[in-house]
Amino acid sequence: MSIYKRLLQIFRATVFATYKEWAAYRSHMAVSVLVGPVFFLVQVFIWSAIYSTQDTVTGLTLTQMLTYYGIVNVINYLTYDSSDVDLQTLIRTGGFITFMLRPVSYFYYAICQKIGHRMLALWVEFIPVYVLFFFVFKINLVPANLFWTLLSVFLSFMLVFLTNFCIGITGFWLTKTEGLRRAFQVLRDVCAGNLLPLTLFPGFIQSILFYMPFQFIAYVPIRVFIGSYELAGISMSIPQVVGLQAVYVVIMFLIYKVLWHFATKRFTGVGA
Amino acid sequence: MINAIKLHLQGIKSALAVRMAYRADFFISILIMLAVEAFMPLVTYLIYKNGASLPGWNMYEALLIQGVFMLSRGISFPFFFGMVWNTIQRVQEGTFDLLLIKPKSVLQMLIVTGFDSEDLGKLIGGIVLFTVSLVNIPFPGLGLWLKFIVLFFVSLVVMFGFGLILSGFGIVWIGNFRVYEIFFSIANFGMYPANIFSKAVVTFITAIIPVAMLGFVPASQLLGRPAEGTLIAVVSSIVFLFVSLLFWKAMFRRYNSAGG
Repeated sequence: MSIYKRLLQIFRATVFATYKEWAAYRSHMAVSVLVGPVFFLVQVFIWSAIYSTQDTVTGLTLTQMLTYYGIVNVINYLTYDSSDVDLQTLIRTGGFITFMLRPVSYFYYAICQKIGHRMLALWVEFIPVYVLFFFVFKINLVPANLFWTLLSVFLSFMLVFLTNFCIGITGFWLTKTEGLRRAFQVLRDVCAGNLLPLTLFPGFIQSILFYMPFQFIAYVPIRVFIGSYELAGISMSIPQVVGLQAVYVVIMFLIYKVLWHFATKRFTGVGA
Repeated sequence: MINAIKLHLQGIKSALAVRMAYRADFFISILIMLAVEAFMPLVTYLIYKNGASLPGWNMYEALLIQGVFMLSRGISFPFFFGMVWNTIQRVQEGTFDLLLIKPKSVLQMLIVTGFDSEDLGKLIGGIVLFTVSLVNIPFPGLGLWLKFIVLFFVSLVVMFGFGLILSGFGIVWIGNFRVYEIFFSIANFGMYPANIFSKAVVTFITAIIPVAMLGFVPASQLLGRPAEGTLIAVVSSIVFLFVSLLFWKAMFRRYNSAGG
């Protein structure tokens, strides 16, 4: 059997099994249908009040600001990832040892799991919230260019996975990684533009954020969705910024490879 | 009452003793929690730094509302809100049954064994933001402080009510830690001045589910500009507590054990 056929079989089996497994907890996932719009409603009130005294904030109009938050919400449902927790749990409990014995790389298995998980989220979280934002809040959630948006969201999907996976790998060295994970998540959310547009940060912080990988997780896909990119006074065309996003995915992949090499050498499992 | 306090203190002592086994990790976790808390008022700070504002409120007044919320959360999360994760975890693992055979009320045991030492970082974060905001506004007089303390206590009552509701959900909605997200999404309304919301929302957050009490109502009292409907919010907070307790009891009756 060719290697590709085998990989495809593993892909199908893992995606399907993860989908079925999480479908049993679909009501947990469906919490997003309440939480997402309620959080968004607060944003609508906050920004409407702020814009009642001025027309623009850092060059963005009220409609653009709300569209930004709307896109953040829906893109997050597509890119959400928990590979850090999954890997760290396996390391702590010793369950990881079984993956060392399997003829499948854990990295490939984890990414297949994520795809299965997000496929379920597509109809439980993404579509209902998208419909609510589009029809109830009247947010224009139509991408400026579908091809580049899909590509950028896919690259963001990979980048979130790779960064989380690298955080998960720290579990090979640290006994308890809960604190580190939480700190990283907050740092990532702030620097990625999940909490607010990065253009609201002071100029020098924007310059730092421009060279960090975090903007490619949320800010870039959102700007690609809108159809224009600008940060720290630097404007780029959409193909350019998506190309840069792809470069960062490759860099993160290489970082993962190096970390994984040293981490698996360190791992010692007893029993499990 | 004294017995209950003694029991609670014993729970805190035990939880701290367990956590002290990994002392360095404990202090690092508290520091990380504190750093995480520092990001909470970031959005408000950046809004004001960009020349925008919430109409009628300066930056420190707006931050004071969030400081009060963080303080209320900083007290409730380590000391009694742990009943939520404790319930969810115990029901999922099957160890909830162990509490049924203890010679104390199940709810009390859930609170006592749910002390979360790491959440003390939230309390420190709350104290810092509250203090920073306070020194940048005209210092309130004694009368305002007394009113604030009473309302702040009511905010803890509302927190307790939310704890009961989420814990009740934890009994029947197996293993769903996302109930915290439901709480935070609703509590978000209490972290901003009520005048930015529509009339219907203000009525909802003061008279029906009194989340305004978690931050806005006590803070506005301290600022000497009492919120409209403060008295209604106090009454509805007490009603909310009783309704939450009834809800928890109703969920508790629905608990089914599958063995631990």
